[in-house]
Amino acid sequence: MKESYVDLINIRRQVFAKIAKMAYEGADLEELEKASFEILPGEVATYRDSIFRERAIVEERLRLTMGLNARKPTEYYRVTDGISEVDVDENRFIEPLINVITFACEACPEKAFYVTDNCRKCLAHPCTNVCPTNAVSIGKKRAIIDQEKCIKCGRCRDTCPYSAIVKYDRPCAAACGVNAIESDYLGRAKINRDRCVSCGNCIIQCPYGAISDKSQIYQLIKSLKSNEHMYAIIAPSFLGQFGPLASPAQIFEGIKQLGFVDVVEVSLGADITTLKEAKEFLEKVPHEIPYMGTSCCNSWTIMVEKLFPDQYQYISDSASPMVETAKYIKKKDPKAKITFIGPCISKKLEALREDVKDYVHFVITFEELMGMFVAKGIELSEIEVSDEIQDASALGRGYAIAGGVAEAVKKTAAEIDPSREIKVEGVSTLQDCVKLMRLAKAGKKNGYLLEGMACAGGCIAGPGTLASLNRVRKAVLEFKNKSACNSPLENEIIDRELRRN
Amino acid sequence: MKIKVCVGSSCTLLGSMNILDQLDDLKEIIKEDAENYTDEELEVEAIKCLGFCKDTEEKVAPVVVIEGEPMYNATGQAVMEKIINRIRK
Repeated sequence: MKESYVDLINIRRQVFAKIAKMAYEGADLEELEKASFEILPGEVATYRDSIFRERAIVEERLRLTMGLNARKPTEYYRVTDGISEVDVDENRFIEPLINVITFACEACPEKAFYVTDNCRKCLAHPCTNVCPTNAVSIGKKRAIIDQEKCIKCGRCRDTCPYSAIVKYDRPCAAACGVNAIESDYLGRAKINRDRCVSCGNCIIQCPYGAISDKSQIYQLIKSLKSNEHMYAIIAPSFLGQFGPLASPAQIFEGIKQLGFVDVVEVSLGADITTLKEAKEFLEKVPHEIPYMGTSCCNSWTIMVEKLFPDQYQYISDSASPMVETAKYIKKKDPKAKITFIGPCISKKLEALREDVKDYVHFVITFEELMGMFVAKGIELSEIEVSDEIQDASALGRGYAIAGGVAEAVKKTAAEIDPSREIKVEGVSTLQDCVKLMRLAKAGKKNGYLLEGMACAGGCIAGPGTLASLNRVRKAVLEFKNKSACNSPLENEIIDRELRRN
Repeated sequence: MKIKVCVGSSCTLLGSMNILDQLDDLKEIIKEDAENYTDEELEVEAIKCLGFCKDTEEKVAPVVVIEGEPMYNATGQAVMEKIINRIRK
């Protein structure tokens, strides 16, 4: 969520901590029926029209965090309806991942231009004069725009000397890079599943916190309690997420205290992906395929699949860093059950794929992990550590920031084959990813490696992050510089075979 | 002025990093309007859990301590208001 949406963020995170606590304590799940009273005590509403509505919404959040579907207000269900199916120690997540809590949605009107009461009915009334469809007239109190005639060009807004005309854009629909937000029969947001790529931008932009994703923390914690081969793999954007006093080594140790047997940087997988993608690009472009898209951002690849299906073949065949890291661990411990911890909601879907589900068993976000730390009373800054984390090269760690993937592949390819220079182009935000694909489809990006990131600024801006973009970027760059090696070709953990030209 | 922002687990979960970011911004705001404020320096420090949350059943996070005085359920706006009032001329 945007950092300034403090109250919404707190509700979301309190729910994570509550569910995590219930899981660690082995609590009777019947307690969920009363949990909303713990999170929202008293009888005075703080931010909605009534305490009842506030609690009802928290109850849906509790359900979604347990991995259940949100309820419809048209039917009677208990909060714990269906709970036995998810009270298990394996991942039971089924789509839909992203859900609109319908009765939390305020049915914000769609895009329109309105005249506010800043209007002074001035003599010049340029608003009426510039309108191409003659939609603006002067009413009793202020200028009026006839919404039936309005073509939303904005000329009236631009000309008003009092800035009295505003453009009103529904936040969730405006945030969606693939125009997947429509309206139901009551004007409430409805996600078009054919277009949605699960990037989670609507979740963080909705000022009412009406949209939420599902979680796997409950099942993960049960698995941590019953299973001894639990490994955590953590995304390159983890730096700075858990507070300025928690060092990377303390974070890793804290994760182990949650019940994981080991923690590995996903930057290691990023190094492997870099090597494979560099070789793939050098081999296939331009003779086999005209250009190549990176494959690490799941929402980018889903977008290409859904909106540009004939271009999907040009997305790299290389597995994402998450999968490569998991494969590396599976090779060492075939019984490993692996949890990806990252800034990303979309990865929860990637882990369901046929070729991924045997490697990555759970996906949680940094926010959800923080809920687990709080539930277990772990203070990261108090943990004593001695080791340094050195799983990956500087280029691998750079994957967290937009442009990092392209840079890594370009530099590595240049080392593998100095005679060729790879052209790269990277964009972030889903809107720009769509624009880039249009150009690629039109043949304007031949010979390029295209890096698409659905989140603005790259993974450091993902919806599951806890810290602000700038804070994380600074911390990631610092950690990059601490790497013992610069390029994946020097990373001794990786198979020698792969590192050879 | 010594301003300590707790970044223990509960406080971090409930937004202390956002308060730190806002305090950075506050320094800018004061600089832009420097003649209206004393030139007292704001020393912002992130601190480990001092146990305020552990001593009570009530929800107190996030906690910010300004010149030794703790603020519970601190919000960016309340913290910044307190600081500005102290250094306004």
